[in-house]
Amino acid sequence: MATTYPPDRHLLRDLRLSFEHQAAGTSRAWMPVVPELAAADGAARAGALATLVDVIGGGLAAQTAQPDWIATADLTLHLAGAVSSGSVEARARVAHAGRTTVVIEVTLHDGEGAEIGLATMSFARLPRRDSNPDISASMTSSTSSMALPESRLQGSLIDELGIVVGAYGQGTVEAPICEWSRNSLGAMQGGAVAIVIDAAAQDAAAGTRAGPVVVTDLQLTYLALARVGPIRTRVDVLDARPGVVVARVELADAGVGRVTTVGRVVLTTSLQ
Amino acid sequence: MSAAGGFRRPAPGEGVGGYVRVGLHEIEPGPGDMPRVVGHAPAAAHLRTADGRGVRGGMLLTMLDMVGGLCGGLAALPDGWVVSTNLSARIVRVEHTGPFRLDAWVLRAGRASVVTAVTIHDEGADALVVDGVLTSAVLVPENGPPQWTRPMTIDAGPEPATPLPTVVDWLGASPVDGSAVEMPLAESLRNPWGILHGGAVAALVDLAAEHVAGGATTDVVLHFLAPNRVGPVRATAVAVGSGRPRADGTVLRVEVRDEGADRVTALAVATSRS
Repeated sequence: MATTYPPDRHLLRDLRLSFEHQAAGTSRAWMPVVPELAAADGAARAGALATLVDVIGGGLAAQTAQPDWIATADLTLHLAGAVSSGSVEARARVAHAGRTTVVIEVTLHDGEGAEIGLATMSFARLPRRDSNPDISASMTSSTSSMALPESRLQGSLIDELGIVVGAYGQGTVEAPICEWSRNSLGAMQGGAVAIVIDAAAQDAAAGTRAGPVVVTDLQLTYLALARVGPIRTRVDVLDARPGVVVARVELADAGVGRVTTVGRVVLTTSLQ
Repeated sequence: MSAAGGFRRPAPGEGVGGYVRVGLHEIEPGPGDMPRVVGHAPAAAHLRTADGRGVRGGMLLTMLDMVGGLCGGLAALPDGWVVSTNLSARIVRVEHTGPFRLDAWVLRAGRASVVTAVTIHDEGADALVVDGVLTSAVLVPENGPPQWTRPMTIDAGPEPATPLPTVVDWLGASPVDGSAVEMPLAESLRNPWGILHGGAVAALVDLAAEHVAGGATTDVVLHFLAPNRVGPVRATAVAVGSGRPRADGTVLRVEVRDEGADRVTALAVATSRS
């Protein structure tokens, strides 16, 4: 798998991310903000930004843990601003590198360099297996990208992931686990999971009287890998008032009947 | 993995649990034969904000840490016990009647870590107050895992004879400048591992957020990066981005340092509702 991952058509290529791994436990990454990433307010949706965070945070954690490997334990994202054009930059640093865990902090910035959000990720350190990818080639200090010349999103992130929304306003969405969104372990990529949860919470918010809101915070705890599919969500709205919705989202791999991710999602009026 | 220190169980009414007045009880196992713990705590006057409307967010997080930690610890037995590594929670209600009912159950139990879900309900108002998750690392104390009588019960202890101090006075916290608050590391605030109790760290994060943004803390992600052993302990809060409040409040980055040990010990993101 290490030599064929990712395939030519893949989330990590089509987002056209670029990376720069720097000295002293820091990395930067950039993602073009295209209309296919947009939430209802026209700005890049939180799930898309979480994917950028997941990729740069995971890369830096893997580099930090070498020769060990890592498993993502949780990802949180809090937005204080929005970006609707140009590109978004993620600046990651190692907040903690211990014997059993690695914690990464990521700040997000718009094209002018202004901070628009803060994310954290924590990872469990695992003994290396032969099946783990060799990341040493991708850890050069020069800017690199997994995008191919023809890489681009061919539809919205929701459509690309095959997300189908159930009864309106209930937060029940379903998506297959396809090659486009698998990670190197064959499971749904953590950022793709964040997009599904973003979509589920957004649908549940539509069933409240909060008015127009978009996802601004994600607190995701990864319990297990979603390998089989389809994945399905269940949402409980914990709080809904004008301009604010808080929801608890549970994501299960229906193929094996197991909850794989739990999260809390905050939606507020647009930050644009 | 071995822990550097031993494990000492506090007496009923002693330490952080005694101040928060939490009683905890192990109940019948949940799915997968995993432990479940319930608790009760008053919405006591000494735990409330200055305006008296509700219990401080930091105290609710302390309750979360206690009930989630006990549940996670029971899941780690017989191999070890646990220490909190991070918590995330949303406080959906800031006005409280009380008493509170605490519930914790295991989401995942592995060899190295345990994840527990925690909810706190206001029984008087029949409403959810907190929804959160606590992740803990499994450690083996020097003197071996604690020996408990099962099902496990921790009493809140006898009613205090005199009124308990406010949270600020209990911690001994005071402002350092416009963005930071600091507290000494009192012996009574150490957890069974001998380091500053995670609930006290959460309380300090809450105070720093309030100091900078002036509102009630409604959302916290807190990563415990290293133990606080020496003190004083300082929390510094800075608004994320422009600092312009969202519809639900201001988002803050809070960094906690053990000044005596000269190291960062926790990183938090908090939302403060004005």
